[in-house]
Amino acid sequence: MASFKPTKIQVYPKLGEKVTQDTLYWKNYKAPVQIKEFGAVTSIDFSPVTPHNFAVTAFTRIHIYGPFSQEPVKSFTRFKDTAYCGRFRSDGQLLVAGCEDSVVRLFDVSGKVALRLFKGHTKAVHLTDFTSDRYQILTGSDDYTCRLWDIPNATELTTYTEHTDYIRCGVTSKLNRDLFITGSYDHTVKLFDARVEKSVITMDHGQPVESVLLYPSEGLLVSAGGRHVKVWDLLKGGQPLVSLKNHHKTVTSLALSSNGQRLLSASLDRHVKVYNTTNYKVVHNFDYAASILSLGLAPDDASIVVGMTNSILSIKHRKNQEDSKEIAGQQRRRPSYRVFVKGKNYVPKQDDYLVSKPVKEHLAKYDKQLQRFNVSKALDTALGTYIRFRKPEITVAVIKELDRRGTLKNALAGRDERGLSQLLNFIIGNLVDARFTPVLVTAAEMILDIYQSVIGQSPVVDRQLLRLQDLVKREIEFQKDLLEVLGMLDTMFASSLPRKESASASAPTVDPFPTCSLNTDS
Amino acid sequence: TKRVGGAGTNASEMAADGGSSSLQLPCVFSPKSRQFLALCAQDGRLRIWNTDSKTLHQEYVPSAHLSATCTCIAWGPCRTVKEGPQRKKRKSEAVQVEEKADLLAMGTAAGTVLIYSTAKGALHCTLDGAHSGGVNCVQWHPEESLLYSGSDDTNIVEWDLQTGKTRSKWKADHAAVTSLCVSPDGKLLLSAGHIIKMWDLDTKEVYRKFTGHSTAVTTLRFATTRPPDSNGLYFLSGAAHDRLLSVWQVREDGKDKNSVVSFTLTDEPQHIDLVTSNSKEEAVRLAVVCKDGQLHLFEHFLNGPCKKPLSPSCTVQMSDTKESPIPIPLLAAVLGADTRTVMLAYGSHLQPVMEKVEINTAERHVCLTRDVQTTLSLSMETTVSKVKTPIVNAKSKVLVPGLPGHKAPLKGTSQGSEKRKKDTDTKEMSIAERLGEIDLSTVSEKGASKGTASLTTDNFAVLLVQGLESNDASILNKVFQTRKEMVIKKTVARLPLSAVLPLVEEVTYTFVLSYRAALMVRWLKAVLMHHTSYLASLPDLVTQLGVLYHMIESRVKMFHKLTKLDGKLYLLMTQVSANICSVVHSIISFNLTSQELSLSHKERMSLSSPHFCSYTPGSCEAVKTQAEKFECCF
Repeated sequence: MASFKPTKIQVYPKLGEKVTQDTLYWKNYKAPVQIKEFGAVTSIDFSPVTPHNFAVTAFTRIHIYGPFSQEPVKSFTRFKDTAYCGRFRSDGQLLVAGCEDSVVRLFDVSGKVALRLFKGHTKAVHLTDFTSDRYQILTGSDDYTCRLWDIPNATELTTYTEHTDYIRCGVTSKLNRDLFITGSYDHTVKLFDARVEKSVITMDHGQPVESVLLYPSEGLLVSAGGRHVKVWDLLKGGQPLVSLKNHHKTVTSLALSSNGQRLLSASLDRHVKVYNTTNYKVVHNFDYAASILSLGLAPDDASIVVGMTNSILSIKHRKNQEDSKEIAGQQRRRPSYRVFVKGKNYVPKQDDYLVSKPVKEHLAKYDKQLQRFNVSKALDTALGTYIRFRKPEITVAVIKELDRRGTLKNALAGRDERGLSQLLNFIIGNLVDARFTPVLVTAAEMILDIYQSVIGQSPVVDRQLLRLQDLVKREIEFQKDLLEVLGMLDTMFASSLPRKESASASAPTVDPFPTCSLNTDS
Repeated sequence: TKRVGGAGTNASEMAADGGSSSLQLPCVFSPKSRQFLALCAQDGRLRIWNTDSKTLHQEYVPSAHLSATCTCIAWGPCRTVKEGPQRKKRKSEAVQVEEKADLLAMGTAAGTVLIYSTAKGALHCTLDGAHSGGVNCVQWHPEESLLYSGSDDTNIVEWDLQTGKTRSKWKADHAAVTSLCVSPDGKLLLSAGHIIKMWDLDTKEVYRKFTGHSTAVTTLRFATTRPPDSNGLYFLSGAAHDRLLSVWQVREDGKDKNSVVSFTLTDEPQHIDLVTSNSKEEAVRLAVVCKDGQLHLFEHFLNGPCKKPLSPSCTVQMSDTKESPIPIPLLAAVLGADTRTVMLAYGSHLQPVMEKVEINTAERHVCLTRDVQTTLSLSMETTVSKVKTPIVNAKSKVLVPGLPGHKAPLKGTSQGSEKRKKDTDTKEMSIAERLGEIDLSTVSEKGASKGTASLTTDNFAVLLVQGLESNDASILNKVFQTRKEMVIKKTVARLPLSAVLPLVEEVTYTFVLSYRAALMVRWLKAVLMHHTSYLASLPDLVTQLGVLYHMIESRVKMFHKLTKLDGKLYLLMTQVSANICSVVHSIISFNLTSQELSLSHKERMSLSSPHFCSYTPGSCEAVKTQAEKFECCF
């Protein structure tokens, strides 16, 4: 006896975003933890030593959060006005921060009161950082100067007055203790050398510079300002390499992923973009609820921390492999693998006589009904609420199967008002879907043939038929438009054809699918 | 229900409340005759409106009206006024000089008090040098020419207007003095800071203290004149964010710890008018305009405490005459001589409408409807008698809006300013005129008339490019939702070439969503039309547009069958409607014969479906509606 063949559910290709290694990697984060701070979060800095705590500067406070804590493990509140740019020293012991009242404060991470106060600036200090020898501090202020300070005796070493507008960002070299870079609202980024006491390289960014970032190799420099992110080659004397313009508002913050392969930029337009640093293409995009002011990336990309203007700090932790397994285990205990493979992997020996046992096939309900020739019931099952809405392709596949058998008419006939209206509803809902149109048009025609004698009796059905008519009219109009577009495209292809006559004579039918972003979705 | 003041409040809280209450724009009617309404609007100008002719009487712009905004106004007591010199010559008129409200004291945020004379139409004098903080309130002495001012610097200053100097100055409170009131006999002064204090004006010593408000006190009024027995003296206080007016009794025995009566309001009080009672038998009448624009009228005999808060005897609201009425806020109200008339000021602060209204106080709630639009459209240019603008001398510092600390580009005074000065001598240009001038100049410069549509498409193109660059779904949604053919065409035409391919890609992507597809076709067509040559020049055109081509092709494959289905449906549906038509015919004929317009269900069923075995009552309804439609056709 030939076995029953289950209805074949067509799998349709789905157009969508290409799934790449990157999207998988950057989507592998948990739902964000959101913490309300006291004001706009202006700076986030990760401690270079484990456990990689991070300092969050918001309004008049600096909070230090642990890698998994949702409450600050430590907070510095001794600021008279808005604090800026809390940064850790390379040993994670000291923290420096600027303030609106122009005083720079140095804190011991375990203490509470400032160890040193550096007074000398006349306006708000937005940039603070430690030099790589750990004994000096770089500061940049709204009074257009940047200064170097000695930590042990809290004295000013040098003042640089080359900038002509606010200095809002900067970074010190991690390899050389004398080099540092500042970015200013006068549109320039300057590389200073403390040994010669003046700037060595000046780069014109073109917009007020909001953030600068050095690559770990320190050969490349990234600056952000306005809508642009620019990459500069320092070894070639500040030659511009790339200019990226992927935000529609000012870019406020930059970060580099731990392996240096990806660059992240955050902007006031609420997006964080991830770039590939080999070709500088956007490979991923995060959306946030409000304009982003600061961005931090934990070592090994273990978490993404974002500070926004609405004073919310959003922390996303990376999903662990063990975590996901554990959750799955809790959800449901399935029979172990052994049960399924029991005896299956037995390899028969040469002399063994093999008795094959028919494999029991699991059939869906509609298949069982089809097997018993209950065509009407099979269609009813396929029109069940869940299938109808979630998996219309199954319903369509069953209708198609019925049509193939020649029993669709029987299945459609003999329905009352409710059954018919349900069927029509389904047809109306899915008729314009190009995947289902051929099957559903046939079904619709058949319905009209069967029920034409009783049309006009039920207002419900009449209304639906009117809707169907309206829908079909609109679809026809639309397809007319599409045919016009097709004509245009044909002309265009034809005009571009002569150039590559050798390739193929029928250009439009060249299969473009290998090149386009198609992926099958089961 | 109230906290004892001073216990839980701190100075900053008080200051914050005071700050918010000062947002209320000062608005005062002149005493006695109620001839003028003085109003200080947001732009810092003092406007005096004549309530009889309902026109702008005078306008005065204090020289520092933007930095030192006016915080409070008070009319001085009426006095006999010498008319201007040219009038003096006419002897016949000089005889009948009447008492008129003349002087107006304005406290400013800079700590000065300006005295403005309506008779002269100019600044009378400036009182300054005594306050270091902004002035919160000014009050006139009822008889002598004295003025009291309370300030943020916690002091009260007594000014002598004869000399224009301070007569005395004393510290009133720990917190800013937010309100003052002089008793009708001129012997006592109430001040409100942290707590309410009553001062003896002869000795300048505290007579009584009252605590009870948790927020800044904005209003103080004496409710009764001082009677022979001191138990009958009452006063009234209202505070910011407080929906109660409290009445306090000043008692002989000093046991006046709490308020005796309170009046409930719907919002914090904005303007209060009160008719004081002179004896126990006379009721106090009170008209309170709240911040929400409602007027509440109270009438109460003050004799001792009353536990329950009193609700208004009458509430007046105003709305416009549109179909969906919008409330018009009342700005101020004063009580007339008899109990029914009330003078109202309502509408915008920039152009209030004054009106004397008779209110039926028997009803608890009165809603008046007024058409503000027509009253506002009255031209006021001719009625302005005197408009003063500040004369800016060369030494004065000009503040330019922007961030403090940023060096704004300072431009030296050019010839242009002189020209303008000449203009302003006669009449200041209105905003509309200025705008018109700007418009004309741009048009003449560019030489081409640009419609508003082009402006929007320009924005759309910029938006679209930004959306494509940053791949922002919300922006793209906004742009793609346009249905206007023109806007789409112009937007695409303005698109830079670099954005064309991303747009095509985006269109392809959104094409899958069927509900969007119809709109996207328009965009696609527009792109293909405008950028044909660019697209055709692309070497990899086929790969770029291949996906789109295939998608469209698969969609139009069913065109043939769909058209057939449409034909079938059309035929059936017309037949159905024809059937209904015939039914309608029979119904109408039936109606004509029986002269009966309303049919019962049964009758209609027998008419329309004699051979249908199953028929739902719902279908009758449908037939009925359709029948009605056809009736209309006939």
